[in-house]
Amino acid sequence: MSAAIAGSGAALAKVLQRPAQGLARCSRQRYLQLRAQRPATSAHVRGFAASTRVLQKKYTEDHEWIETSNPENAAIGISTYAAKALGDVVYVELPTVGTTVSKGDAIGAVESVKSASDIMTPVGGEILEVNNLLEEKPGTINQSPEEGGWLARIRVADVKELEGLMGEEGYKSFTEEVGEK
Amino acid sequence: MITWNRACRGAQHFTLQPATNRRWLSQNSLEWLAARPIQSYISTSRDPYLNLSIEHYLLQKSAPDSTILLLYINRPSIIIGRNQNPWSEVNLALLDSARNARPETEPSGLGVVDLVRRRSGGGTVFHDEGNVNWTVICPPRTFTRDKHAEMVTRALRSCGVARAKVNERHDIVLDQGQTVADVDRANMHVTPYTHSSHPSRPLKVSGSAYKLTRQRALHHGTCLLSSPNLNVIPHYLHSPAKPYITARGVESVSSPVGNILLENEEFIAAVQKHFALMYTAGESIEALEVGDEWLENDTARKGYDELKSLDWTYLQTPQFTVSNASDIPATVDLDLTVRNGIVSAGTLARRGASETIDSRESVARPKLHEIESWPSGLQAMFPEVTNAERDRLAAWLKEVLPPSHVASSTV
Repeated sequence: MSAAIAGSGAALAKVLQRPAQGLARCSRQRYLQLRAQRPATSAHVRGFAASTRVLQKKYTEDHEWIETSNPENAAIGISTYAAKALGDVVYVELPTVGTTVSKGDAIGAVESVKSASDIMTPVGGEILEVNNLLEEKPGTINQSPEEGGWLARIRVADVKELEGLMGEEGYKSFTEEVGEK
Repeated sequence: MITWNRACRGAQHFTLQPATNRRWLSQNSLEWLAARPIQSYISTSRDPYLNLSIEHYLLQKSAPDSTILLLYINRPSIIIGRNQNPWSEVNLALLDSARNARPETEPSGLGVVDLVRRRSGGGTVFHDEGNVNWTVICPPRTFTRDKHAEMVTRALRSCGVARAKVNERHDIVLDQGQTVADVDRANMHVTPYTHSSHPSRPLKVSGSAYKLTRQRALHHGTCLLSSPNLNVIPHYLHSPAKPYITARGVESVSSPVGNILLENEEFIAAVQKHFALMYTAGESIEALEVGDEWLENDTARKGYDELKSLDWTYLQTPQFTVSNASDIPATVDLDLTVRNGIVSAGTLARRGASETIDSRESVARPKLHEIESWPSGLQAMFPEVTNAERDRLAAWLKEVLPPSHVASSTV
């Protein structure tokens, strides 16, 4: 999301991440306890689920992602990095289905920690569907930014626009670089 | 004509310029926007719609790498956050009564008070001439949620306000402790009064709200210096409808507030000085006066007209429901869903009965703030309702959700 985090440097990322960090933390000991309590099959099930459900994605420098396997109907969302930087999301404004948008247009907005932040679309196209769950449960963006917290589905107008985006590895190094600056 | 103010001068010297000069001024303002890395502005207008539109223009159009200070003072107005609900945040009947010159309410009102939905997040705040609004716009890569609240706190401390600090909600508060402890004076998050043995709750004197776009980060706050209206403000910010509303979006967190008791001009000079200390090593930055002439700029004018429109104020409200379930005398339970400011659906159930009646489809779908009279609308939504039930519900709705034409005054 360009918004909060556009080109954002270390300072922003670090400061914004502070409130969010505590959420999922537990001690190493507690983690091991929890892990030990899991049914023996869960590791296998989880591995299987992950391998089939992981989406092929590309990322923007503004921290949005787009699924690339089917440009006729591609999910868009914000990255895990962006969701952490925003902090607790309390409201999501979704785009209108049927709207035609151009690359970089604001297609929605989120509010977190007194901040209204625009979300930009990584590519142009037509909005086919929006994730209504986010209206009821905006926190889904924090819990599952790159799966259940998708924002909208778009019919990509020009697949060439996807080529300019970063792959997962490229995005990972990009966020590490941003974090170091 | 550009009035090049010294950093310490206030905004009191505005005079109308001939139109040709004003055009010349805005052209120069635009060049200023493009050229300077560090910029300072002060508004001569008291119009909240205009000041917020100038601010938004600076957010959108200033050079991406520039850092900008804008200071302004608004006439009495209530400013709600981008994703808030005016029906639950504000006593709309009280606002409307002054506007329509109805008999004065009890307690007496302040006359015309504007209602404005701003573009940044956060909660509701009351503005008047005893508040100075401060805005800093900077590149996102240098932005943190605290750094400019800390800057304003340094300014306040330089004026002798030793109790000022930034709290964990990024607000500026005054510590109320009695004992004096030895603390690091350079730390804007503690004061000598923070760790009192009998601490009273700190008083809030300036909130924080943010708007983050692709290229820019905006932080603004309203510093409460000497408002004469602290005793009546709670009446404006207390909505009789609130117990009946369940809303998505953002609810205000109310805090005890206090006046700092500082002159506006002293605060303005101190903030300008500390902005300069932060960004130009103290070299004074000339503050450009801005005001009514910005309405001649098409982009600023467009934002201004949008902010003033009732559609922006009311229809941008996140979805909510109104329910009379906690209204004891009612005999019928009514739930109305309001989406995009429009009464879009409802259900009705007679108390004690298990049957629920859904409203008819495709009725007029009226804008909630425009509904003057409820009986015919209720009749259309629920033909089953008896006249007596309908009239009782209509009377309740009119009281809880009065028609509101409140947004802009003609000042």
